[in-house]
Amino acid sequence: MKNLFFIFIALITLGCTTAEKSGDGNEKPHIVATTGMLYDAVINIAGDKVTAEAIMGPGVDPHLYKATQGDLAKFNKADLIVYNGIYLEGKMSDILAKLGRQKPVVAAAESIPKEMLKSAIGYDDAYDPHVWFDVQRWRYVVTSINEALIKLDSTNREYFQTNAASYLKELDSLDRYVKQRINEIPEDQRILVTAHDAFVYFGDAYGMQVEGLQGISTVADFGLKDIAEVIDLIIENNIKAIFVETSVSDKSIKAVVTGCQEKGHEVKIGGYLYSDAMGELGTEEGTYTGMFKSNVETIVNALK
Amino acid sequence: MDAFWIILTGSLVAVSCALLGSFLILRKMSMVGDAISHSVLPGIVIAFFIAGSMQSIWMLVGAGILGILTTFLIEFFHQKGRLQTDASIGVTFTWLFALGVILVTYYAGNAHIDQDCILHGEIAYVPIDLMYDSQGNPIGPKAVIILSFVLVLILAFIFLFYKELFITTFDASFASAIGLNTSRWHYALMGLVSLTTVASFESVGAILVVALLIAPAASAYLITTQLKTMLILSSGFGILSSFLGYWLSYLLDGSIAGAMVTVSGFIFAVCYVIVRIKK
Repeated sequence: MKNLFFIFIALITLGCTTAEKSGDGNEKPHIVATTGMLYDAVINIAGDKVTAEAIMGPGVDPHLYKATQGDLAKFNKADLIVYNGIYLEGKMSDILAKLGRQKPVVAAAESIPKEMLKSAIGYDDAYDPHVWFDVQRWRYVVTSINEALIKLDSTNREYFQTNAASYLKELDSLDRYVKQRINEIPEDQRILVTAHDAFVYFGDAYGMQVEGLQGISTVADFGLKDIAEVIDLIIENNIKAIFVETSVSDKSIKAVVTGCQEKGHEVKIGGYLYSDAMGELGTEEGTYTGMFKSNVETIVNALK
Repeated sequence: MDAFWIILTGSLVAVSCALLGSFLILRKMSMVGDAISHSVLPGIVIAFFIAGSMQSIWMLVGAGILGILTTFLIEFFHQKGRLQTDASIGVTFTWLFALGVILVTYYAGNAHIDQDCILHGEIAYVPIDLMYDSQGNPIGPKAVIILSFVLVLILAFIFLFYKELFITTFDASFASAIGLNTSRWHYALMGLVSLTTVASFESVGAILVVALLIAPAASAYLITTQLKTMLILSSGFGILSSFLGYWLSYLLDGSIAGAMVTVSGFIFAVCYVIVRIKK
């Protein structure tokens, strides 16, 4: 027993001595964002005045993200951490909120006024976290990131302000573009059927009825009743196309297509929508505006 | 320092699990950890409805109550229903998990509730999840403090009642013949198992706990026939898994819990090969 204890202490000491890594001597503030959407907002405002990285890569479902050994080092190295909040990141949100006692941490989506958030069942903690598919709500997120950046590095205040203002302008024109494109769809066809409930705010903002097969929670599988209801809705409204998401399996949506065919209604899969994660970095779909436009393009072309 | 806290947390979980796991193997109840990891779901959902919040403390209470209920039901079906322990474990946890799934789909379809998201912790974040004193100064990682209490409790239980645990585990009929209440000791042990698993899920996630309850104890079981040696060996294997696993994940930049479990499986394989060669 005693020997084991000493071996244990020795192993742990060994752990301490080799684990410390020194800083890389980079003077620019380092910013860590959890999702790609937040990362995109950070680099649009801060440009090359900071270094930034995202924890979750393209195609990753933030609800199911598993941390790696390196993530802790990223959080430790960060001068500012930006996360979505409203339990998008699950338990990671709790830990990041606590880390706020030691370093600047901002829950960007929690800056959105509570009355603009949709609560599914009327409890304080149960708001829908998928706020990025409404440009007006996303503006609050961008503004709160801008404020956090200014607080972090006030010498670049002017620079951040200018960039944020022009980025917000870009978002406004995106907002107008989306409204204009959605108007191309006949009014009775503005129904968006997808696998997972990530488009509630999108529907609210741009006047589309949104039907998700699966709830927000991933353990709640879609029920037979859900599928039957969605099939009836599709046939009743003569909907032409339904959609698959890049970060969710397309099985349930295929079941709906087959179900409709059996009842004699042809419905096609309208294409892939980005929901919880963006496209590859460096491509058009790897930016917030690019991803949004791609989704709208897919929806409008299929339902028009 | 991060490496120190993570390895220490891993080791605390590993030793707690190895000690309890040794008794579970001998009682043919190893899968009880896996069972509890699923059956806590209805507890989480009900706790959410009563408290209206997803704060960890309520989730822990809900999960803890369901953990104890699970072990109670398993023993009840085994004793009164004369069901084998594996069947009893299987029927209990699938039923409770299914109940939880129904509660989620029926009442909370639009809220993000499942144990992966709101109960299971992540060992990588242990060093930044600190506990603070009333003045707001950091004392140390929350998981280390909680798990140290759990380990002390387990050690005290085993040191104080080693004889009773030994007799009821190996020869239940002899134990009742000399007047020991076997089911009382069983419930005491199972209560500790559910406390340990739920506290560990919250700190380090499920897969690590489920695996460390079984693999180190199973490796030790291959090597020795002495209970005391088995307890010490399995604890040692657990610590070794935690240490080597951390550095494996460091090399690969992968999941820490995943690497620790991989190493514990590897240790089991090595033990198996050594035992086969010696025979």
